[in-house]
Amino acid sequence: MEAAKMASPKSAPKDAQVMAQILKDMGITEYEPRVINQMLEFAYRYVTTILEDAKIYSSHAKKSSVDADDVRLAIQCRTDQSFTSPPPRDFLLDIARQKNQTPLPLIKPYSGPRLPPDRYCLTAPNYRLKSLQKKVSSTAGRITVPRLSVGAVSSRPSTPTLGTPSAQTVSVSAKVGAPVSLAGQRFTVQIPSSQPAGKSATPTTPTVQNVLINPSLIGPKNILITTNMVPPGAADPSPLKRKHEEDDDYDAL
Amino acid sequence: DRQTLVAVLQFLRRSNLRESEEILRREARLLGDDLGGSIATVATSSPGVAAVAAVPPGKGEARGDCGVGPSSRREPRKVGTPCAARSLGSSPLSEQLLLAGAFAVGGAVVVEDQPDVSAVLSAYNQQGDPTLYEEYYSGLKHFIECSLDCHRAELSQLFYPLFVHMYLELVYNQHESEAKSFFERFHGDQECYYQDDLRVLSSLTKKEHMKGNETMLDFRTSKFVLRISRDSYQLLKRHLQEKQNNQIWNIVQEHLYIDIFDGMPRSKQQIDAMVGSLAGEAKREANKAKVFFGLLKEPEFDVPLDDEDEEGENEEGKPKKKKPKKDNVGSKSKKQDPNAPPQNRIPLPELKDSDKLDKVMNMKEAARRVRLGPECLPSICFYTFLNAYQGLTAVDITDDSSMIVGGFADSTVRVWSVTPKKLRSVKTAADLSLIDKESDDVLERIMDEKTASELKILYGHSGPVYGTSFSPDRNYLLSCSEDGTVRLWSLQTFTCLVGYKGHNYPVWDTQFSPYGYYFVSGGHDRVARLWATDHYQPLRIFAGHLADVTCTRFHPNSNYIATGSADRTIRLWDVLNGNCVRIFTGHKGPIHSLAFSPNGRFLATGATDGRVLLWDIGHGLMVGELKGHTDTIYALRFSRDGEILASGSMDNTVRLWDAVKAFEDLETDDFTTATGHINLPENSQDLLLGTYMTKSTPVVHLHFTRRNLLLAAGAYSSQ
Repeated sequence: MEAAKMASPKSAPKDAQVMAQILKDMGITEYEPRVINQMLEFAYRYVTTILEDAKIYSSHAKKSSVDADDVRLAIQCRTDQSFTSPPPRDFLLDIARQKNQTPLPLIKPYSGPRLPPDRYCLTAPNYRLKSLQKKVSSTAGRITVPRLSVGAVSSRPSTPTLGTPSAQTVSVSAKVGAPVSLAGQRFTVQIPSSQPAGKSATPTTPTVQNVLINPSLIGPKNILITTNMVPPGAADPSPLKRKHEEDDDYDAL
Repeated sequence: DRQTLVAVLQFLRRSNLRESEEILRREARLLGDDLGGSIATVATSSPGVAAVAAVPPGKGEARGDCGVGPSSRREPRKVGTPCAARSLGSSPLSEQLLLAGAFAVGGAVVVEDQPDVSAVLSAYNQQGDPTLYEEYYSGLKHFIECSLDCHRAELSQLFYPLFVHMYLELVYNQHESEAKSFFERFHGDQECYYQDDLRVLSSLTKKEHMKGNETMLDFRTSKFVLRISRDSYQLLKRHLQEKQNNQIWNIVQEHLYIDIFDGMPRSKQQIDAMVGSLAGEAKREANKAKVFFGLLKEPEFDVPLDDEDEEGENEEGKPKKKKPKKDNVGSKSKKQDPNAPPQNRIPLPELKDSDKLDKVMNMKEAARRVRLGPECLPSICFYTFLNAYQGLTAVDITDDSSMIVGGFADSTVRVWSVTPKKLRSVKTAADLSLIDKESDDVLERIMDEKTASELKILYGHSGPVYGTSFSPDRNYLLSCSEDGTVRLWSLQTFTCLVGYKGHNYPVWDTQFSPYGYYFVSGGHDRVARLWATDHYQPLRIFAGHLADVTCTRFHPNSNYIATGSADRTIRLWDVLNGNCVRIFTGHKGPIHSLAFSPNGRFLATGATDGRVLLWDIGHGLMVGELKGHTDTIYALRFSRDGEILASGSMDNTVRLWDAVKAFEDLETDDFTTATGHINLPENSQDLLLGTYMTKSTPVVHLHFTRRNLLLAAGAYSSQ
């Protein structure tokens, strides 16, 4: 840790000086300068939260002003909520005694990598392939507007991030294209290519590019952006049918 | 138990909670006239009991939680009936009452909620008068200072626990000003190594502060152990009992455990070496259990022929090297080492073919190993982590020194290859279907050349990574972090396989067993847990430390686990049944490094006080003290044959110590084994073989390669 240059007494605000003194009293001599700022911010936020809670309690008790009891109650409630402390010793000794009574389980030989049941591992794929066969036959060759659709939220929340893109080409038969899109608990953006309808006889292979999260790295909730290029060669687009298809998509998802 | 039950009944009667009293009486089947003799304990335990009884309704579960909220204490009567009935009916009642008793009898002497205290209790009250605490303490101080020299050192041990307990009582009973003046007056008298604790104490000025501090609560409820010789003890007892006010005697009886031994009183030096932990020293019975410190027999191989040919061609083979190899491998002697555990004491994974190949490599390397000693010191190769911005928090190196892993404060785990061979991961499923499965080098073909690199970064944790450990077969990597989880990573696909959730608080250290499959982790919740890779819950929980478990290590025979803690003790636990078989006290700061000697007999420990202590596991004694470092010792390692002990510290040095000489002459006569006292010679200077300084890089990890080259690692810190 770099040696701290304490703010010179002339320029530092009083609070900062007090905080520096507190750190000194607790025996902390080396710290980065922004520690004081962080401590002050924490102190301010904590005190504000407690006082706000105390105001609520005192008004609930129909008191005219906030008194020490309210503050004490507020502190106690917040402590139970935010600052949990580890379980007490007797509880730990108790569960330790229970756990230590069971004998060590025998090890089965030649069982490959020894991992817990799949439910408890992070090795499962966290995506599911869903075919859109029905939809495609009615939407083939249409010009559709790119749209964002949101799927169901998965049960295990975690911060969604983007992983490394891996291009996958899915070749599809001519007429009845069945582009696979990955649905489920993620954002799917379908950006079909705007191709003039009924143009080329040759089937083009739509490319589905999936931006996949490496399932092993992060939690289960993913953002997948799929670009779905609908193959041409189907009925001519008409505005009515296009609307129908959009509704279809909504229903499907 | 009985007394506290009686006390509760008395309290209930006073509070007019007839129904509860009847229920309890019926349960305990006590008669009304038994209550006569135990009036003294009533008032003292009543506030404690009221507090405890009032707490459960809020929480819903009847846990022996010593935390008392001020609001619940305010209204014991109102909530008395429903919760008393409920709490009395529940099973951990006796535990709660015991706790309340222990907690309250020594503590809540001044009864403020009970103004109708009888005359009998008034005398009790006076003894607990807060303003007199200072007088009691200075009286005792005076007595001890006037006692004979030989007794004074031992009796001075009383100062610290008494001081802390009296201060905590004053705080608990909300005599803030008296507590403050008591602290001011006497805190300077305490030993220097308690200063950190005293600083924490000085910040505890109100009862509410004590509630969240688990360490202080544990300190109050556990007994501080003192070892005093019989003569000194008699002296003390006589003095305390002949005085009128027995307050100190009460505290001594309540909170201190005096382990009396027959023999000469100890000198100050001996005492100083052993004290320092948060709970005093260890009781002698704590260190008497039998410990199997021997090594497990290595399985025999059919391969020795190759080795012998190799050795014949080997130019550097000295005659001395043949012997260790013969002893280890294929030893024909069938007799069991009496100190070694039976092979099947704990289930261990079987040896796979790859493991056998590994062992053969190990033996070949061992044959070429440099024999270290005072004349032949190892070369040290230092791996400096540059641009780590002080974020390097954990390092580990594989046994064959092929990979090095760093855990960082930005929650990443980075694996580097030390050898020119790059790190390769297995191909994806699509590519794997294309390879020829019948070819001879299929194991190379499954590896993906395109993504081979020197460095692989593993993401997954959500907090700084505080501990890392490679598995012995180099297939897995463990990492533990501040987010409370321990993650298992595969080194073949470089992805995370499992997250073990058990600690809900930062996990400070983790280590794989020397045979793989098991691993241990220790964290802020004051326990260490033993896991197996295929169980999502821990197999064993080692509870007993008073503060965070900062360091965990397996014994070479995988049957014991050593844990070092912030309460300044080291405990040795038995994997089979979770019992604590050894407690070692003596360090004056949290322990950050542990190392078992390769023969399994000795343990070396390093802490923030800059000393390395050496312990004999079999006898449970301290056998050596190595002074020299000036800052925390974060790395300790014995050389492959146990001749040299290397220690690395925050003071940017690596020091080499002569381990053979340190363990050489141990006086283990009956007296020392019985009492656990040993006169440590001041020979640190003789044992120090070399000090090697780095350029402002604290040493975080040490590793001896199979050929006894010392590798060290640390992050460059620029000042």
